[in-house]
Amino acid sequence: MTGTARTAPTPVEAVRPRHTTRRRIHWRDIGANWLAFTIIALLALPAVWIILTAFRPNLEVNASPPIWIPQALTLDAFESLFGLNPATASGVPVMRYLTNSLTVALLATALSVPIGTAAGYAFSRFDFVGSRTLVLLLLLTRAVPGVALRLPLFLLMRNIGLIDTVHGLAFVYMALNIPFTAWLMDGFFRRIPRELDDAAYVDGASHWQTFWKIDLPLALPGLGAASVFAFLAAWNEYQIASIITKTPVAKTFPVGLADFTTQFTVDWRGMAAMSVLMMIPAILFVLAMQRSLTKGLTFGAVKG
Amino acid sequence: MTTDAARLDLPPPGPGRNSLLTRLRRAEWFTYLMTVPAVIVVVAVFIYPMAYSLFVSFTGFHLLRPDTTSQFVLAEMFDNYARLARDDVFWRALWNTILFMLVTVNASLIIGFGMAMLLARMTFAMGPVRVLLMIPMMFAPVLIGFQFAWFFNATVGLVNNALLTLGVISQPVAWLVDEPTGMMSLMIATIWMTVPVVSIVLLAGRLSLSEELYDAASVDGASVYQRMRHITVPQMRPFFVIVMVLLSLDIARAYDIVRIMTDGGPAHRTELIWTYAGQLAIRGSQFGLASAMSMAGVVLGVAFTFILFRQMMQLRKDMG
Amino acid sequence: MRDTMTTRSGRLAIPLAAAFAVTALGAGTALAQDDPAYAGLDKDLSGTTIKMAAIGGGSYEAMYDSISMFEEETGANVEIVFLGDGFEIDRYLKTNYAAGTVDFDVAWNHTSFMSQFTNFVEPLQDYFSEEELAAFSPSIIEAATIDGNLQLIPRHADISALYYRTDLYGDADLQAKFEEQYGYPLAVPETLDQMYDHAEFFVGEEVIAFGTQFAGKEEAVAGRFYELLFANGGDYFDADLNPIFDSEAGVAAATWMQDLYANGLVPGDTPNLLWDGVAANFCNGDVAVYLEWYGWYGYFQDPESCPNVAGKFGMARGPVGMDAETHTGWAGAHAFSVAKDSQNKEAAVELIKFLTSEAVSFEESNTFGFLPVRGDVSARVVAANADTGNPLDAERWELANLQVSEDFRTPPLFADWISFTNEWFPTLQSITLGDMSVEDGLAKGVADAADLLDSLGY
Repeated sequence: MTGTARTAPTPVEAVRPRHTTRRRIHWRDIGANWLAFTIIALLALPAVWIILTAFRPNLEVNASPPIWIPQALTLDAFESLFGLNPATASGVPVMRYLTNSLTVALLATALSVPIGTAAGYAFSRFDFVGSRTLVLLLLLTRAVPGVALRLPLFLLMRNIGLIDTVHGLAFVYMALNIPFTAWLMDGFFRRIPRELDDAAYVDGASHWQTFWKIDLPLALPGLGAASVFAFLAAWNEYQIASIITKTPVAKTFPVGLADFTTQFTVDWRGMAAMSVLMMIPAILFVLAMQRSLTKGLTFGAVKG
Repeated sequence: MTTDAARLDLPPPGPGRNSLLTRLRRAEWFTYLMTVPAVIVVVAVFIYPMAYSLFVSFTGFHLLRPDTTSQFVLAEMFDNYARLARDDVFWRALWNTILFMLVTVNASLIIGFGMAMLLARMTFAMGPVRVLLMIPMMFAPVLIGFQFAWFFNATVGLVNNALLTLGVISQPVAWLVDEPTGMMSLMIATIWMTVPVVSIVLLAGRLSLSEELYDAASVDGASVYQRMRHITVPQMRPFFVIVMVLLSLDIARAYDIVRIMTDGGPAHRTELIWTYAGQLAIRGSQFGLASAMSMAGVVLGVAFTFILFRQMMQLRKDMG
Repeated sequence: MRDTMTTRSGRLAIPLAAAFAVTALGAGTALAQDDPAYAGLDKDLSGTTIKMAAIGGGSYEAMYDSISMFEEETGANVEIVFLGDGFEIDRYLKTNYAAGTVDFDVAWNHTSFMSQFTNFVEPLQDYFSEEELAAFSPSIIEAATIDGNLQLIPRHADISALYYRTDLYGDADLQAKFEEQYGYPLAVPETLDQMYDHAEFFVGEEVIAFGTQFAGKEEAVAGRFYELLFANGGDYFDADLNPIFDSEAGVAAATWMQDLYANGLVPGDTPNLLWDGVAANFCNGDVAVYLEWYGWYGYFQDPESCPNVAGKFGMARGPVGMDAETHTGWAGAHAFSVAKDSQNKEAAVELIKFLTSEAVSFEESNTFGFLPVRGDVSARVVAANADTGNPLDAERWELANLQVSEDFRTPPLFADWISFTNEWFPTLQSITLGDMSVEDGLAKGVADAADLLDSLGY
């Protein structure tokens, strides 16, 4: 990990003014280092504890007084989760949850990113009639609490026969992701100097050509960031999924996890094991995409 | 597809034809083409359900009585709203929601800003630390809710176990039941989710500032506070706006956390508008009343977004 | 819908008394020599998929393991589309029935919940022969027949009984100390007041973490309160569905809960506990005496799952309150129904016949201690537990028989019982936690209930 960081500096490091390295190492810096480490460790502790719990025997997990240092590690929790161990609990359809979540998240991403990007480009380049209203409209969608959306959406999905299908859910997620994608891409496009567009127009390029050949390639990192956000938003969504999906045919991972927590209210270890399965893609994503994530999060504001 | 579109749009040769007027007209056509898909989808998934919800809030729709679905009586149109106004729990939920949003947003900003300042001073291991920092923000809120419900559990929770072992407390504390620890636990879980985002964005902001500004300030003898007040914060304004937008997304997702941790209970102590509406709708089957409550939630969200929108428009102007 | 409501209001809280008096021990032990019979396996259901939405959690799910036998014998494919605890499954069914998105053929049902579902479940009387129905407890079948339509086929019944720790109650030292402090001998509590004294005493002596406990949210707490209410001579509603629980009996019941919590005699997280949570506390050996379902007996008695209490507890009839004649005895029966929108009603009925057959019921009752709703099964479980080495194994069936015939009370049977409990339980929590005085809380509860019933058109 350190190696990666050194060979491929993150954008934040890239924008760090070069002469900071000339600063003398001060005792206050060392103090700051340690304080930062401590806080990060505290932030990471919950995740570490969950992972540890998933691999411990049940007796240790529920021990009173608590056993802090693991005495033994076991895969029992995962075996009963996957139904490999017939002696314990019946298997939970985790593989189905995984496939459903992946399908829904990928579909939603593939659809929302192009549509959102197109809208974002229009907002960034043209102050057309109603553009301010549209931007406000898109922003306002975020003010709508899921509770207000979920039942009407349930009825809507039922009327068009998309209840309990991955397509129906993907459609909703696509819509949920579009406003944020548009906002994100609008910021990215604004970073691209207008002079480039003007030069293209002078050369006789159309709007589409300017967008496709000049601006879009320059905004590619933004596209990456938008995709990650869209994917994760869909991967993590619970409220709407919990009402639109009803069976393992379409249930996603968060719904499965919530079901598990209500079904086995005191099986903390089983829940921890399920959580670990759910964390894996999130962690992989962070490791793979941290560069474009930082860029995506800070987009237009970084000038340089 | 792309070539077709390109050919259609290709202006005829010659500089004279490419006048400002035709370009504007073409721009309009082009922009509508670019925005129409987004608008259609958003109308289908947001506007239609919201309009329906608004309509239902004027009726006595009861989930298990299909005949009540569209019983709209003009004279009874505001009955649900009147009932809400009389309902102490609603006002409590409203107050809790405002408090929850104020505390989580501000605490995330302050803690995140502090961490960004701290991280900016770090001299080594910056890469791995930043990766670690990013992990919590990728977690599903459901997962975070479960995680903290367990930590704050009275009998087997990590927090009680640790405090009992260390001898800080002698009796287990019912964190999620007592006041004000219930609301605090929910806020801690939410802040845990949001702080990393804030610190990463603000860290990037801090690192983008030129050191010369600070060098000049040092020469003028400015204190740490003065530098913060007059250089760091104003220079980082765009980053704060970005953070606010991201936070508004996260706070909306906090419902999942609350749903798993307390679901508004016990005794409405941690009730938020979202959990109360959810209970009325599904458990109580009183969908009309629940819709009226959702509208209150929408109004609250809209107010928050309007403030944000003004900031954003200003920022967009600054950026050109 | 309306008519149903008014006829129901006339017979609130039908006592299912005698449900078991007739069936539980009646059949004698002669039958027990044969193997118990299966049912519902005769038809060829190859290619049919039967979907089921059922109750899950705890020992409820073990029964579904037998489904593989049904699948093998009939060729049908059974898919369980939803499992959740009582409240989850209730929510699930409600949304789907209401929206017309029924994706299951066989659905969970319950005598406390069935009035909500009358419009959405298939009347079952024509699918079963008289002989088949006669096997079930007649009073449950009668209670489950609304306007001539049989709503459900019962799976097993349950009634709350007193579980107590024999090691504490039998301790000579503690007995002596208790008599000295309270002026009467320490024995299994017969009144709610005694139960309170014992809880206070055991916690005061620091021999146990909690004197007693109760599940503190949703219908679980509203139902427990109901039980205290009628043991004190009160009720939630009068015959015309007017809320009347701000009575003297209501005050006594609410005060009992509030005092227990205020004095730390019940767990601090009581308002967050549901059935699994309280059972886990007793299993861990943290609770001296409390009201619990028969269904947990097998779990507590198993040294593998509960080494701290297995063999160290006894069971007794619920205590009485201010009304010295009435014992606690909140009761109900879990059951199966067929969805009206099911496309496979015949096949669904076959599955229900199988699941409620003598053999499957016996297996479930005998293993987990659920109270049987079939006379033939009752006889078998008594015989099967006659000499297991632990006298309680057999005694509890006799206790169950006594309780069910004398003390069986279902919650008020009106369609919005669950809506009512959902509105009421947070207020009850406020009383328990001390956020509201007993009087204010009860007054609010009664006012809210009247308001709710009014808005629902009663």
